[in-house]
Amino acid sequence: MSDGVGEQTTPTAGTRGDGQGTGDRRAILEMRDVSTHYGLISVLRHVNVEIFPGEIACLLGGNASGKTTTLKTILGYVKPSEGEVLLEDEVVSGMDTTEVVRRGISMVPENRRLFSNMTVKENLELGAYQRRDRKAIAKDMEEILETFPRLRERLSQKAGTLSGGEQQMVAMGRALMAKPKVLLMDEPSMGLAPVLVDQVFKIIKDINELGTTIFVVEQNANMALSIADRGYVLQTGQVVLADTAQSLLNNPQMREAYLGEL
Amino acid sequence: MTMARSELRRRAVRAGLLAAVAIVYLCLVGMVQAFSTRNIVGGNLPLSRILLLLPSAVAASLAVRPRVRGGVTMELNMGEAAGAGASIGLIAGAAVAVGIGIVNLIGQEAVRGVFNAVTSALMLTLTLQRSTVVGTAILVALSTATGALFALAGVLAPRLRRPIVTGLTVVLLMGMLQSVVRVMLVQLGLATQWLYSVTFGGLTYLGAVASFAAGMAAARLWALRREAAAADAAERAEAGGRPRIPRAMLLVPVGFVLLALPALLGTFLSAVLGQVGIFVLMGLGLNIVVGYAGLLDLGYVAFFAVGAYATGVLTAAVNSGSSLHPGLPFLLAVPIVVLIAVAAGLLIGGPVLRLRGDYLAIVTLGFGEIARVLVTSDWLKSFLGGAQGLIAIPAPTMSVGGLHIDFRNPQPFYYLALGFCLLAAFVSWRLANSRVGRAWNAMREDEQVAEAMGVSTVRYKLLAFACGAAIGSLGGALFAVQIGSLAPSSFVFFISIQSLAIIILGGMGSIPGVIVGALVLVGLPGFLTEFAEYQPLIYGAVLVAIMLYRPEGLIPNVRRTRELHEEEVEQDAWLEGVPEPAPSMTLGEAVE
Repeated sequence: MSDGVGEQTTPTAGTRGDGQGTGDRRAILEMRDVSTHYGLISVLRHVNVEIFPGEIACLLGGNASGKTTTLKTILGYVKPSEGEVLLEDEVVSGMDTTEVVRRGISMVPENRRLFSNMTVKENLELGAYQRRDRKAIAKDMEEILETFPRLRERLSQKAGTLSGGEQQMVAMGRALMAKPKVLLMDEPSMGLAPVLVDQVFKIIKDINELGTTIFVVEQNANMALSIADRGYVLQTGQVVLADTAQSLLNNPQMREAYLGEL
Repeated sequence: MTMARSELRRRAVRAGLLAAVAIVYLCLVGMVQAFSTRNIVGGNLPLSRILLLLPSAVAASLAVRPRVRGGVTMELNMGEAAGAGASIGLIAGAAVAVGIGIVNLIGQEAVRGVFNAVTSALMLTLTLQRSTVVGTAILVALSTATGALFALAGVLAPRLRRPIVTGLTVVLLMGMLQSVVRVMLVQLGLATQWLYSVTFGGLTYLGAVASFAAGMAAARLWALRREAAAADAAERAEAGGRPRIPRAMLLVPVGFVLLALPALLGTFLSAVLGQVGIFVLMGLGLNIVVGYAGLLDLGYVAFFAVGAYATGVLTAAVNSGSSLHPGLPFLLAVPIVVLIAVAAGLLIGGPVLRLRGDYLAIVTLGFGEIARVLVTSDWLKSFLGGAQGLIAIPAPTMSVGGLHIDFRNPQPFYYLALGFCLLAAFVSWRLANSRVGRAWNAMREDEQVAEAMGVSTVRYKLLAFACGAAIGSLGGALFAVQIGSLAPSSFVFFISIQSLAIIILGGMGSIPGVIVGALVLVGLPGFLTEFAEYQPLIYGAVLVAIMLYRPEGLIPNVRRTRELHEEEVEQDAWLEGVPEPAPSMTLGEAVE
C-alpha cells in the first residue's frame, strides 16, 4: 500500500469537500480529535469524524489501520486518551458501552458474531434488550422480517446453522432491533461471496433509505463508496482523506491505493 | 462400508488393554473385594463379579460403535463385532490371569507389602471360590463371553438395544439398592420374598427376570410415548395449540412420592436423603454461576462455609464457642444468612469481574481456600471458634398442636431440606426463563457482543455470584443444623468439586440434572456404604466418562447440548481436514 496518500494530503477535520451541502447540518455523531492507546501503543491519532443524520458515511483503510478501534471507541469499549465522542452534542466517551447503546448507537460486529446457539428469533430479541416497549418491539420485529423475508422462515432455527449471507442479515436485524440513531457496521463484506456482498450493500442502502444513519467500516472501498455519501480514509490511525464518496472515487491517489487501479 | 481388518484389530487390542488396566486397577485398590459381599442376583452374582466383567463389557460395547470416517459411516457386522468383543474380553481376562499368576509366583505376602488389597479373600473372589487353575480359566472364559455379548449388543439397532440395556440397568439398580427398595416395600405392606432372596439379600432369579422385563417394558413404553409426542407436537405446530395434558399434571404424583418418602424409607435412609438435599442446594446454586452465567467457580465451598457459619453464629447458644450469640430462631436467621451470603458473593464477584475461563477458575479456587483459612484462623477465633469450630447449634423446632417436631431428626430434616430445595429450584427456574436468564445466556456465549446489545456484564456477573451464593448458603445453613456443630475441616476443596461434579453429571444449566446428579453422587454412596471409601475414585471416573461420551450431562439443557456438540462437529471437521461449514466465532476469539 502506498504511503504517499498520507504525505500528500493534509489530514484536517472537516475536509468535507464539495457537494451535499453538509456544512450547515449538525452532526449526529462526532469524534472530536480522538486519540486512543492500547497501553503504550498509540492506535488512533487525532481522529476527527462527523456523521450527519440520514447519511451513509464510510471509513476505509487497510489492515491494522485502526478501523475497528474507531468503532470500539465510539461504543465505549475503548476509552479515548484524548478528545471526545459526541452523540447529538452530548459527550458519550467515558460512558459504559451499555449506556452508549441505550442512547442509540448499535453495532453489527465484524464476522457477525451471532449468538450461534440461540435461534434467529432469540438473537433478534436480544437486539432489543435495552427496550421495554413490547408493542413497539413486536412492530419493529415485523418490519425487520419484511426487510429480510428469508429470516421469517428461519426464525426458530439456530443462528449458527445459517449461511454466511443469512447470518449477516440476522446481525443487521439484531442491531436494528435496538432502534438505533446511528448504526455502526464493521466490515459487512468480510467472508461473503461477491454476489452476497452486492446484496448486503443493497440492503444497507435500503435500511438507510428507511431513515437510519449508518457508519460503515470497510476494506472493500469500491463497494462502500458506491453506496456511501461520504468517506474517510484511515491510515495508521490517522484520517488522511475525508471527502464525498464521489470525489473519493475520482481521487487519483485513492484509486491507486485503495480502488485497485493503476 | 466395513472397516479395514487392521484397523479393527488395532481398535480391539487397544480397548482390550484399556479394560485390562481398569480391571487390574480395580482389584489392586480393593474395590473388587469391597463389593464382594453385596449379592445382586441370587448367590452367584455379587457386585464384585459384575465389577470384574464391567470393564470388558463397557470396552467391547464402545469399541464396536459405528465410526464416521471421511463422511462415511463404518459399521461392523455381527461376526466382526463378536470377534472383536471376544478378543477384548480375552485380553482383559488374560491380564487378570497373568496377575493371579504373578501373585502366586512371588507369594501373596510379598505383593501385599506394596498392594495391601491383595488378600487371600481377593484371590478367592478372582478365582470364583475355586482352585486357582480352574477358577482362572472360568474367569477368562466369562470375560471373553461378556466381551462378545456386549459387543453384539453394541451393534444392535438402537430400537432393540435400548430395552435390553435399560432392563440390565434396572436389574443392577434393583440389586444394588436392595436395602432401600426392600424397606419401602415392607413399609407399604407388600411381600418381598419373591423379589429379594432372604438368604443372599439380592434379587431372586424370579425378581431379576421381573425387573428385567419391567425395564424393557418401560423402555418400550417410553419410546412409544416419544413417538406419539413427536407426532403430537407436529400436529400441534400445525394447529398452533398447547399440549393436551399440561406437564404440570405430572408434578402431582412426583410431589406425592416426595412427601411420602421419609415414611417409607425410615430414619437412616431419610438422613441420606437430607444429605442429598444439601447437595441439591449446592448444585442449584453453582448451576446459576457456572451453568447459566458461564463463570467457572472452583471455590464454591466458600458460600457453603458462609451459610453454615452464619447460621451457627446467629442461632447458637451461649456456650457455642463464639462470643457472638444472638440466639435467633432458625427461620429468622435464614434471611440474614442469605443476605450475608449475597454480600460475600458480591465481595468475591467484584475482583474477578474482568477474568474469564481458566483465570477465573484459579482465582475462585483461591477464594475457597481463603474461606477455609479464615474459619480456622485465630484472628476470627472469638467469633467463629477457630480450629475447635462451633458447637451447640440448636436444631430448629416447631410445635404443631402439642406435637413437638425437632428438625434434627432425619425425617423432619428431610422436609426442611425439601422445602429449601423446592424454593431454590423454583427461583432457578424463574431466573432461567427471565430477562436475567437471557442476559446470562448472551453473556456466556459472547461477552463483548452481549454488551453491545446493552447487557451490562458487570451487573449480571455480580448478580450470578449473588444468586449462587444465596442458594449455596441455604445448603450451608442446613448443614449447620443437621450436625449441630461446625468444624473447619468440613469446608474443604472437595465440597467445591462435589458440587461441580453434580452439575457436570446432571448437565450444565439443567435443574432436573442437578437433582439426578446429587442423587447419584451423594445418594448412592450414602445408600451403599461400600461405595463411600471409593467416592473420589468414582467421581473421577464419572467425570471422565461424562466428558468423553455425554458432555451435555445425563439430563441436558437443550441449549447446552447445541453448544457442546457444535464444538464437537468443528473439532471433528478439523481432525478430518474438512473445512468448517461456515465461518463462526468461538469464545476464544471474543477477546481481541
